[in-house]
Amino acid sequence: MFRRSGSTVAYYVDGKLPNPHDDAFGAKLADQRFRSIETAASEETSIGWVTSGDPTGDTFELEDMDIDAGIWLRIRFDKKALPTVWLKIHRAVAERSAGRPLSARERKELKEDLSEKLLPRTLPTVQFVDVLYLPKQQRILLFGTSKRIREEFEKLFFKTFAVSVVAATPYTLAQHSGLGREALAYLDQVSPVPWPREGGVADRQMLADEDDGLEGDHEEEFDAEPSEPAPGATVTDARASETAATPEEASRPDEDADLEAIEIDLPEPTEHDA
Amino acid sequence: MTAAATAATDSYSFLGEEFLTWLWFRLETRGGDFDLGEGRAVGVSFDDYLQLAPGDGDGTFQTLRDGKPSRSAEAAAGLRNGRRVQEAKLIVAMGELQWSLILDATTMTLRSIKLPDDDPEASGPEDKNRDRAANFVLLHEIVEGVYHEFLRVRLEEGYLEGEAEAQATWMTSR
Repeated sequence: MFRRSGSTVAYYVDGKLPNPHDDAFGAKLADQRFRSIETAASEETSIGWVTSGDPTGDTFELEDMDIDAGIWLRIRFDKKALPTVWLKIHRAVAERSAGRPLSARERKELKEDLSEKLLPRTLPTVQFVDVLYLPKQQRILLFGTSKRIREEFEKLFFKTFAVSVVAATPYTLAQHSGLGREALAYLDQVSPVPWPREGGVADRQMLADEDDGLEGDHEEEFDAEPSEPAPGATVTDARASETAATPEEASRPDEDADLEAIEIDLPEPTEHDA
Repeated sequence: MTAAATAATDSYSFLGEEFLTWLWFRLETRGGDFDLGEGRAVGVSFDDYLQLAPGDGDGTFQTLRDGKPSRSAEAAAGLRNGRRVQEAKLIVAMGELQWSLILDATTMTLRSIKLPDDDPEASGPEDKNRDRAANFVLLHEIVEGVYHEFLRVRLEEGYLEGEAEAQATWMTSR
């Protein structure tokens, strides 16, 4: 079943792919299909295409992939690694019988020996990541947002189709959003708005002052220097903080700087899917 | 993509943050209804998660969870101090359909998406697969449509003296 929840990164396809209804499309996927490492005797990783209908990667039937909205593909990531807990157990046994800690060479030999014995019997961990290709829009939705998944997807896609993908970002989305030529030209010059801070009547004035200098020319905004704050104003905006507003403030310790030096280690946001 | 192009693209994360901050302003001052054309009338609201980034890119972040963070005194204080919204949990509705998601504005990544309930008339797994895939695509189109509305305002001449000035007043007076 197609998922009902998840996280997605959108991509633009930077080139032409074969028509998914043509054999060439399936053939390219088959060239980079997933290959099993179930019986491998070494630590390794295997990454390749499969379909929802065939998780082995042996077949790429159009009926398993075509779901009207797009072409539903899957990347299978298998990873086989020597279980560290078994390595620790065997090392403890060896050290106990030797009556001393193992040397670096002995530890290496032990690991090699265990890998040879255990890895053929160890099953790889398996992860599937869905990919939805939208041929008409030349877009892709990748159902995984971690850096590793994104990088592996980008590599696999290029290996498969010899075509790059470009991640949707605030910038690339703007480029593809059908804006007029003038707005697109301005996009390459636009800079962050220096939003005012508390007590910042003068800061708002600064915003207005910047605007006054524009005279309808976007390019001037890009190059504009921040305006001087009004006399006596409490200026805390980053772009104006070098200017002390009053002599008292000039001699006062930089409270903002002290506050901002305190780093708070924030927890990762929880999934709200629960 | 060249390294220079990548760096240029990365540097536009501020535009995503400005988008979410504008969206909050837009919702509070003019409501959350958007007409995206082609018969697509959508509603957007903030839910129970907000992350505010320091305005100057070098300070502490502020994470607010549960309840109505966008109505909290902490969020108001953040805005008054020039903070921008970096991530927010949004509710998006179109007709009978309703999605929830966390929008990471720096990358425009949609996280923790929850799709609308399955169509009760979907007769089997294949129908449900089609329906769900279409709803993921539709959600991206809606978010990008609202982002386009922001860009139209943000990149037009006179933005700083008009919309930005109004938003600045809203930010400092909440």
